[in-house]
Amino acid sequence: MNAPERFLRWADKFPELGTDPIPVEPCISPEFFDREKQDVFMKTWLVVGREDEIPNVGDYKVKKIHFARTSVILMRGKDGVVRGHHNTCSHRGNKVIVETGEETFGRSKAAVVTCRFHGWVYDASGKLLSVPEEERFAPCFDKGTSGLAPVHVDVWEGFLFVNLASEPQQSLKDFLGDMDAHLGGYPYGRMSQCFSYSTMLNCNWKIALDAFSEAYHVSTIHAGSFPNVFSSGLADVVLLGDHRSTGICLTLNAEPTPVAKIAHALSGASVVSQRKSSMLPPNINPGARDDFSFELSVVFPNILIHISEGIWFTHQFWPVAHNKTLWEGKYYLQPAKRNSERWAIEFAQVLQRNAWLEDTATMEDTHAALESGAKTHMVLQDEEILLRHGYKVLERYMEKQGQGK
Amino acid sequence: MRREPSLPKGFESLEPLVEKWALHTQNERQHQRINSSRGELRYYYDNVLPRLPEILNCVDTYELGQLPPPAARLFALALSLAEIAPHIELYGGNPKVPHSFDESRLIAEHGAVAN
Repeated sequence: MNAPERFLRWADKFPELGTDPIPVEPCISPEFFDREKQDVFMKTWLVVGREDEIPNVGDYKVKKIHFARTSVILMRGKDGVVRGHHNTCSHRGNKVIVETGEETFGRSKAAVVTCRFHGWVYDASGKLLSVPEEERFAPCFDKGTSGLAPVHVDVWEGFLFVNLASEPQQSLKDFLGDMDAHLGGYPYGRMSQCFSYSTMLNCNWKIALDAFSEAYHVSTIHAGSFPNVFSSGLADVVLLGDHRSTGICLTLNAEPTPVAKIAHALSGASVVSQRKSSMLPPNINPGARDDFSFELSVVFPNILIHISEGIWFTHQFWPVAHNKTLWEGKYYLQPAKRNSERWAIEFAQVLQRNAWLEDTATMEDTHAALESGAKTHMVLQDEEILLRHGYKVLERYMEKQGQGK
Repeated sequence: MRREPSLPKGFESLEPLVEKWALHTQNERQHQRINSSRGELRYYYDNVLPRLPEILNCVDTYELGQLPPPAARLFALALSLAEIAPHIELYGGNPKVPHSFDESRLIAEHGAVAN
């Protein structure tokens, strides 16, 4: 029998990525995970939220960052600028803000935070303002240099990024590179209604990220929720330094179910409804394909940002241990103007949640099966090119950082 | 004893569904769907779908979020269709999402917010 005819359009376009099987060791090795934390996550810029989550002076968000064994206070100061500090009191190290979960929100009219242990007060720039019984501390205690430990914060298109390095190797602008032009200019803030999910997954962060980084699985994994939607392949894959992006094209010509038909007529809140194009940046869907559904962009190392007409959504994967990952999925829409539209949004968003439940179903099984050691490598098809690039960038990072030591 | 109608005039036939399905948060509706039988989902779907256009017209006579209690109840009842329709139309009547992650482990930040 003849070998099948090969279609390797992305391998032909990006020969530097090769076509070899990928080792699975990075997904299951605790030692690899320790190096990855130091060489990647402690050094790169990471999305920790949106500016509009803390819109007013004195608003703050505390975000746990497990791999760094810290939590970061992001607070908007009286000058309107959001700054970041470790949530660790300069006195005896208590958490300044008591957390209630992965993310804790609050507001201080005076834009200060007060440690409840002994009442030390800090402003939004981390400066130590007040110490009860200050006169009882010895002269070697200097209030002026006893502020909160700072964390680098920068903002791009309303996304708040932190960098946990004492001195970041790159500015956020340089880190994003050409991704800025690719995803910049999209009206993220206009889609201000957010439906947010999270869960702790018993798998490596890359297994979870990879599962969302290809469309090969759509016709199998989503046979339940999107039975008549078939991937017509990736379109216009671009590699942008450490980052990568592709159009996801879906055939949408099947007759919708009765309820979906009513919902689609009321709102464009579903990525599987046919929608016009008015807000996408010029580099997105350059061929103006009418089966274009959304742009899938991976901002290294751990967030997928998807933009689409009137909808954008993110998946973020926070490494907790080599076999534990906090997944956060957020779906952003324009707020409804009428009650019927609100109903249609509910329909689209619930179906999207079900699709995410289908996605997350595979990840723990994949990790458990890989830990058996039965397979040392995974094989990728051409349409899984984003995964291949991801492992390539990771390898490059760890080699570079390894040499720099 | 005959109870006062809880839905706007004209929707009396949906009264038997109110207690179980006029729920005001997504978490409650999801929980109810998971814990219902195939027959209960089918009964809801067959009774609500034909009335959906009228329901949406009715709620649109009010401003967003300004629904008086009977219309708010009708709206909450209709929102349960978002939970139930995929199970009737796509999942063969199964009250669970087939081949899915454990739904109780997926935490919805918005899940406890009333519509």
